[in-house]
Amino acid sequence: MDDPGTRPKLEQWIRDHAKTPIGAIAGDTPLLEKGILSSLDIVELVLFIESLKGEEVDPDAIEPDTFKNLDAMMRGFFGA
Amino acid sequence: MPDPRGADTTLRAGFLRSASRFGDRNALFVDGAHHTYADLETYARRIAATLLREDRRSSDAPKLTAVLGHRHLETFAGILGVLLRGDGYVPLNPVFPTDRTRAMLVRSGVSAVVVDASGLAQLEEVLTGIEGSLLILAPAEADLSSIAARWPAHRFLGSNDLADGRSLVIPEASPDDIAYLLFTSGSTGQPKGVMVAHRNVRHFLDVMAERYGITEEDRFSHTFDLTFDLSVFDLFLAWERGACVCCPTAGEKMLPGKYVTKHALTVWFSVPSTAVLMNKLRMLKPGAFPSLRWALFCGEALPAEVTQTFASACPSAITENLYGPTELTIACTLYRWDHERSPAECHLGVVPIGQAYPGMEVLVCDESLHEVAEGQDGELLMTGPQMALGYYRDAERTAAAFVIPPNRDRTYYRTGDRVRRMPEGQPLVYLGRVDNQIKIQGYRVELGEIEAIVREVSGADVAIAIGFPRTPSGADGVVAFVGTGQHVAGTDEEAIAIRSAAATRLPPYMQPREIRFVGTFPLNANGKIDRKALLAILEAPKDPT
Repeated sequence: MDDPGTRPKLEQWIRDHAKTPIGAIAGDTPLLEKGILSSLDIVELVLFIESLKGEEVDPDAIEPDTFKNLDAMMRGFFGA
Repeated sequence: MPDPRGADTTLRAGFLRSASRFGDRNALFVDGAHHTYADLETYARRIAATLLREDRRSSDAPKLTAVLGHRHLETFAGILGVLLRGDGYVPLNPVFPTDRTRAMLVRSGVSAVVVDASGLAQLEEVLTGIEGSLLILAPAEADLSSIAARWPAHRFLGSNDLADGRSLVIPEASPDDIAYLLFTSGSTGQPKGVMVAHRNVRHFLDVMAERYGITEEDRFSHTFDLTFDLSVFDLFLAWERGACVCCPTAGEKMLPGKYVTKHALTVWFSVPSTAVLMNKLRMLKPGAFPSLRWALFCGEALPAEVTQTFASACPSAITENLYGPTELTIACTLYRWDHERSPAECHLGVVPIGQAYPGMEVLVCDESLHEVAEGQDGELLMTGPQMALGYYRDAERTAAAFVIPPNRDRTYYRTGDRVRRMPEGQPLVYLGRVDNQIKIQGYRVELGEIEAIVREVSGADVAIAIGFPRTPSGADGVVAFVGTGQHVAGTDEEAIAIRSAAATRLPPYMQPREIRFVGTFPLNANGKIDRKALLAILEAPKDPT
């Protein structure tokens, strides 16, 4: 997907759901490791990504490492 | 298998019996590798022998040892090692803030801690401010010289210091000794340590092993952290009969669909919220989990709809709802799901909690602790072999919760759960709480504990925590309302500061997601703060402008 708005939307979602208030998120900031997102957020995140993509994601095909950081998510879900 | 007279009936006994019968079978899968009963026993014996040789504590010190770790081989070997040294274990979770872990460590009065890699990573923060001297055993670490140099008050032992386990003489433990000490949320801000005795958990394991016909062929999920007493089912029920515990990776915990099939699990045990999560991600397709024999849920109210969906995903399994507070040892009532009969037995979309375990007794009481009439609602009290010893070093709170009702001659535990007293043979239904305790993702949360901490960090006189957003099982998180006044102006900066400070004191699921400032709190007809009104504020649709 080539929509340049995807990354900022994803970043904003993360900021909105972050456990503690955070500023800008670097592409390689470890989200789960740093406790920015919890495993509970992942479901909602997948549903949000589906809404961005406009199509369903096969949850069984998702590699857990995809949620490591913003870069990994952009690569894994949007090929960007 | 009957125990000959005088044989060990404590928590370690089942594991040791399985190790002697099934030494070559896998006891554990963790961090990408299987470990046999023989290997796990050897490691545990070495840990036990090391602790016995090195832990110089006074004869009146508590027979407890802490284990600070999370899902590594050393965590499991550590727990078994503690039991083999004759102690009860105090699980500490590296996922929790270090302040909280430190407080539990100090209150437990342990003199030794076994740590795995994740525990070691935060150990120095935990040690900060602790008085006295601890023995710290990190069985997988070869070089502890730098940390030992920074903390000369404590003694550090690593892999090169492990004693030979073959020389171990396992000390006797009595059925009345503490098997594990678990801290649960306390309404005044201080967690309570529940003392569960070997005889309590022995009774639970015997009931479960019999009911579920566990064999050495079984493969158990392990979704519960060690600080959640339901993890005792995962580990010790599996080890009781020679089965294998399959520890998920962090990724598998997050996306559990593949976890079940990858390990060909036969026993699934989780909080209802995990089933709800799997349902949202469309992982509960009919027949998706053919290997499961048992699908078990516990920890929070079980919604009927997701139960039906999960049951259809595992057509070879029997689905059950288990209920029980930590004080009654893991679970003490249960209900079997039947797709024809059960929908009519559900109440407000929630699956019943069913019948008491064999040997456990139910009493439904009004506020004066007199039994209510059949068909009436009241507080659930229970007694029996699974009733725990009480709260650790807390006579006052023990006396408040473990009571002898009028006209009774036995002590009962007050669960604080509201149920309906049913005619003989009909399943108990859960109606809610009598107090301000809620479940968040299955975790027990006293809203009062959050409120105490928010008051402390903000300086406010009044703080009210509301579970929000609501789910059919409880809530997914917490929002804190803080009263403005002398110390609190109500600015955005204050909100950020309060959230950050609270996050250092509370486990992740208890951290307020949002702070709302209030000048005047709404009051109900009794003049008390109206929590329903506060919830309504949160649930009100957002102003479109």
